[in-house]
Amino acid sequence: MDFLIGWLAIIPSYATPLLLASLGLIICERAGVLNLGAEGLMAVGAMTGAIIVLSGGNPWAALGGGAVAAAALALLFGLATVVKRADHTLSGLAIVAIGLGMTGVLGRPYVQKTFPGIETLGDLFGIDRGTVFGRIVAVQDPVTIALPLVVFALWWWLQKTRSGLRLTAVGENPAAADVAGIDIQLTQLAAVLASGVLCGLAGAYLSVATSHVWVEGMVAARGWVAIALVIFARWNPARALLGALLFGAADALVPRLQAIGADFPVYLTMTAPYILTLGVLVLSSLRGKTSGEPGFLGRVYLRQDKH
Amino acid sequence: MTDTKFPKARAACLAAAMSLLASSTAWGFTLEGPPKVAFIYGSAALDGGWNEALEAGRKAVEEQLQIEVAVTENIPEEATKLRAAIDLYVKRGFNIIVGTTYGYSAPMAEAAKAYPNVAFLSASGTENGPNMESFYARTYQGWYLAGIAAAQATKTKKIGILAGFPVGVVNWDINSFALGARSVDPDIETIAVFTNSWWDPVKEGQVAQAILDQKADVLATNLSATSPLDVAEKAGTPSFGFQLDMSHAAPKTIQTSVVFRWEKYLVPTIKEIIDGSWKPEEYGAFEGMDKGVIDLAPFGPGVSDETKAKIEAAKQQIIAGTLDPFQGPINKQDGSVLVEAGSKLDDGALWSMDYFVEGITGTMPAKQ
Repeated sequence: MDFLIGWLAIIPSYATPLLLASLGLIICERAGVLNLGAEGLMAVGAMTGAIIVLSGGNPWAALGGGAVAAAALALLFGLATVVKRADHTLSGLAIVAIGLGMTGVLGRPYVQKTFPGIETLGDLFGIDRGTVFGRIVAVQDPVTIALPLVVFALWWWLQKTRSGLRLTAVGENPAAADVAGIDIQLTQLAAVLASGVLCGLAGAYLSVATSHVWVEGMVAARGWVAIALVIFARWNPARALLGALLFGAADALVPRLQAIGADFPVYLTMTAPYILTLGVLVLSSLRGKTSGEPGFLGRVYLRQDKH
Repeated sequence: MTDTKFPKARAACLAAAMSLLASSTAWGFTLEGPPKVAFIYGSAALDGGWNEALEAGRKAVEEQLQIEVAVTENIPEEATKLRAAIDLYVKRGFNIIVGTTYGYSAPMAEAAKAYPNVAFLSASGTENGPNMESFYARTYQGWYLAGIAAAQATKTKKIGILAGFPVGVVNWDINSFALGARSVDPDIETIAVFTNSWWDPVKEGQVAQAILDQKADVLATNLSATSPLDVAEKAGTPSFGFQLDMSHAAPKTIQTSVVFRWEKYLVPTIKEIIDGSWKPEEYGAFEGMDKGVIDLAPFGPGVSDETKAKIEAAKQQIIAGTLDPFQGPINKQDGSVLVEAGSKLDDGALWSMDYFVEGITGTMPAKQ
């Protein structure tokens, strides 16, 4: 029972940064812009967040600052891909390199300095940690608790609102959307910025909320996992929530099984989330379902071209 | 040789033969030109961990030997990239090159063959030669002392340690930590968890929490990030750091940190290289507490005088050679005999350690 409670309580801390980044990527890719830069955007968010707290700022301001800084880098990506119509894949990889390189240089004075993070619900509301409910909820933070609402809002926006459907139209068939009078470049640029904000938030969450420290390379490939999650979720925010929880649960289980000395194949268990993703992809293709991939993802739209 | 009848030619001949013999059996090395030292790092020198400990050694070399020491950072562990950096240094007249990561070892050995008049030192390396020496430290000696302190601090008789990958140099730390604790109280259980990464502060904090959730009331980290110590500080759990003095991350709960004092190896070795008496060890330099290369950082506020005295006593025994953490009797995790009473593990057995000792709760992936 203790094992289960501890495990359930820690899963959100694994899932939250993955989910935040995935939601950003979903918005961006629904608009047809393939964003492989998540790792770089998260790195900028993580470093900026830490710098703000270490300079005496409020942790909440740090989350916001991380989001803004990553959005600035995303703007560069947007200018390259949307305005200058550069190749999405190469631009995305360039963003990774710029993000990782930049944080390595700028963040140097801030390495390995612990700082106070975001307060948990237990600290904020004095939740009794004696009950099972209390033990699970008290260690969560407001970001984690608010996330399901964000997921629902995003799903609703994409499916039920005019502007959300317009975004999807741009990603599915920009020529048709263009004829319908939608400003393609403006829509895509906004989507890219949104991915910057959410990836930056995800990165800042890692430093400010989870580990309370910044070091170079601390995103540790979580940006790439988020990209895989988007495919797993078939560009659907609700399924991204499910996928992030699944990834988080599997990831959190490995050290916990070790800690009780369970005899289990460690390396095999670590690959479980990825095998699961592959399985879902294969299954969905076998059953003839579409992958959910936006029809024009990663391609450059030029009005004068015939599509 | 005062015998004047002894023909000079024969003496010269004998001397030549002796020097030939000397160079073939024991490695000798003479430096050409004024000493110029260069350190090459795989990532940032001030990383708050492994590199920073070596960087402290570099500064000591600079100050104590009064010589120029150059630094290059962020050279990836790729043969071509490292070689380009080495070539550039040699061209500029540098003749003592220190590589700071395991992945440099093989390409450094290649470079050492190409530049026989340049001395190479390889931290945590595996290659050695006439002008190259790998060096590491007997970290397990420090962890044994940490285990004693952990046993003194625990009330639940459960202590925890998190580590990177299940390789020999990590496994001996975990095992020695557990053995140190059990030398005080044989009932103590040590929870050991591998994060399966060297550098992921987020995961290290989460794994620390997993250990505390198993009711461990002492937490040690065998990794570099401060996040596990932050978790321990918040929980009020006595903690242990590694590589550098980590007290800044847990000022209230830290007990001590097992630290490297690389200057105790680097300064005398580079001095030997300069004065011509350097002979690289055939299997690498593998120094311990007796040379001061491994030590404990100053104790935290929660460590009692009794504990301090116990640790000091054990430390003196380790230095004197009368105490070896891996002296028998020791059983493996499954209860089988590892070392009989009266004998101890040799260096070969230490390097290839791929098991836990008795008293450890944990999953050893190396055996799978």
